[in-house]
Amino acid sequence: MKCRVLGAAFWLVCGAAFAQTSDLDALKLADTAVVKVEAPRDWQLFTEAAVGQILATNGLGSMANNRWSTNAQLSTALTDRFRFIMADRLDVTSKNDVTGQSAANTLKEAYVSWQIDSHRFVDIGRINQLYGVAMGYNPTDYFRAGAVRSVVSIDPNSLKDDRLGSVMVRGQTLWDTGSLTVLYSPRIEDRPASAALDPDFGATNNRNRWLLAVTQKVYRNISPQVLLYGEQGSSVQAGVNLNAAPTDAIVTFFEWSGGRGKTQLAEAFNQAGPVDFHQRFATGLTYTTASKVSLTLEYEFDGAAPSHAAWRELRHAPPGLYQSYRATTLDLQDLATKQSMFGYVSWHDAMVKHLDLNAMLRFSVTDSSALAWVEARYHLNKIDFALQVQASSGSRASEYAPTAYHYAWQALARYYF
Amino acid sequence: MHYVTHEGGLYMMKYRVCTVVMGCVLAGRVLAGATATPAAQDILAASDAVRNPDYAFGVTTTLIEYRAGKQTDTDTLMVYSKAEPGSGQFRTLIRFVQPVRDVNKLMLKNGNEVWFYDPANKASIRISPQQRLLGQAANGDVVTVNLAKDYKASLASEEDVDDGDGKRRHCYKLALEATSPDVTYPRIEMWIDETNNHPVKARFYTDSGRLLKTAYYRRYREELGGVRPTETVIIDGLDPNWVTVMRGSDYAKRDVPDAWFQRDYLAHFNAQ
Repeated sequence: MKCRVLGAAFWLVCGAAFAQTSDLDALKLADTAVVKVEAPRDWQLFTEAAVGQILATNGLGSMANNRWSTNAQLSTALTDRFRFIMADRLDVTSKNDVTGQSAANTLKEAYVSWQIDSHRFVDIGRINQLYGVAMGYNPTDYFRAGAVRSVVSIDPNSLKDDRLGSVMVRGQTLWDTGSLTVLYSPRIEDRPASAALDPDFGATNNRNRWLLAVTQKVYRNISPQVLLYGEQGSSVQAGVNLNAAPTDAIVTFFEWSGGRGKTQLAEAFNQAGPVDFHQRFATGLTYTTASKVSLTLEYEFDGAAPSHAAWRELRHAPPGLYQSYRATTLDLQDLATKQSMFGYVSWHDAMVKHLDLNAMLRFSVTDSSALAWVEARYHLNKIDFALQVQASSGSRASEYAPTAYHYAWQALARYYF
Repeated sequence: MHYVTHEGGLYMMKYRVCTVVMGCVLAGRVLAGATATPAAQDILAASDAVRNPDYAFGVTTTLIEYRAGKQTDTDTLMVYSKAEPGSGQFRTLIRFVQPVRDVNKLMLKNGNEVWFYDPANKASIRISPQQRLLGQAANGDVVTVNLAKDYKASLASEEDVDDGDGKRRHCYKLALEATSPDVTYPRIEMWIDETNNHPVKARFYTDSGRLLKTAYYRRYREELGGVRPTETVIIDGLDPNWVTVMRGSDYAKRDVPDAWFQRDYLAHFNAQ
């Protein structure tokens, strides 16, 4: 017994001495630190080169898919109360198919922001107005339709980053526990444009729209957001966004939108009706481990999507009908079928410092098709290297295996100026 | 960190009361030759007041991370902090300045409500307090915190310890137990200089008693109307070769409106 006590005391003393030594070493190292304080800047610019391949599974072989992109972002003060905000992206794509080389410029934002006082703002111009607390599907993101001009990745973060804003005038007032936003987005052109440098107002501003959003803290750290959205020729839609952090490691979220409207099939085939009440929602949680792994699981529901029977019928209809419907749902960024599951994993510093691993899985509950995407991204101070692979599975004309190709990969390098 | 670096101040009134109380206690000791010790919670509150002023302020924080003696990361952040009128706890808004890939991203921490804003898509995403945005430094390390608001302190002992500059200091050793679920660390040991309430070092533990990190507060100098630590050296609890230096500069009193500390403000953030 005495020996054990002495032994424990010895290890305690040794441990304390070791800790003291390592602390001294760390402090000596800190003494050598040269701190160069970087000045803040109001812009960000990067260029990106990507090479890739799309692999077909139906005997069509493979297709090269190379790209060069430049992305610029600016938020600069014009005066004490006025700022100019601009974001633009140019993608030049080269494929060895009939499309050959093509370019698409995405004028994401260009607007002036007037700060009336510390609580009130008026913005006018093209604004990327994003709503929604879910990750994979955002039914309250009312300005998503037609916004993606050039798909460079199926990562939901990329789809939100690289899209057109809508031209609008927006007013916002804030108080200590909440805010009120009112905006109006007018019709400017009737149809989307395909010219590379066209600002493409027809894609985002082809009808008059308005939105009202109120956020109010109701309890501790819970601040629900309620939205009302209207567009020319359609019924008003209501929306709710809500999230909470029940523990230190978990964030839960719920996003809902509902209102009267046509089904997506009627929308795709330009039919008059019927007009019924439909609801869409996405709910789930993000769990973060102590080792920097974040896992998001999300259930998605789209009440305006076809029923099981209607979906089966559409899949066996002439291909043109299916393709027309898919083009509509992709443009609206809605689900093609009623129910989906979504999972996303992010692992920062994955075993190797500066290596991030991201993976996404979408699964249609309706037809059991799936779409997977994996990215490994290694970042240095100003350069990122990434390898992305995507694959889909499912029978012909299912939700996530709609086309002839099932596999694709791209490797890219991004340089920040 | 203001967890570990530039930390929170108390309410002016409470601080004054605390100072008066401590002053009376110290005077009593001198007059009576007694060895009475101020209450642990008051010591902690006075230490908070050393780390943080009792008004809204801004500071530029640079984090330099070392692994095995080699510099691996540098982050620069602009930090804006203001105490909430009700709780007295600080709310913090952080703007990323460096590295370039993160330029002008924002993080807002208000209690356990943490928002991350990316100007690339104008999306404000709620993240959990555990979801780290930086390397070794937890989100809780770079925000301003009044420990006395969230922890119950007890006096464990009085000890002579070496401070971050190698000087011997006679300190109160306080044991802190979290009383709020919103904190980053459940348990803390903290050494506070008996003569001036300067925090000297702290050890941060999990619930189960595992050492997460050790922090030394140093480079004391006159900032924001008081002598405050401007550098914190953080040493990982498991890997002592993992060291982060957090250094503050450009301290300034700032009139930060309360309306800034909510999600819907982030898209308008315009620090001059």
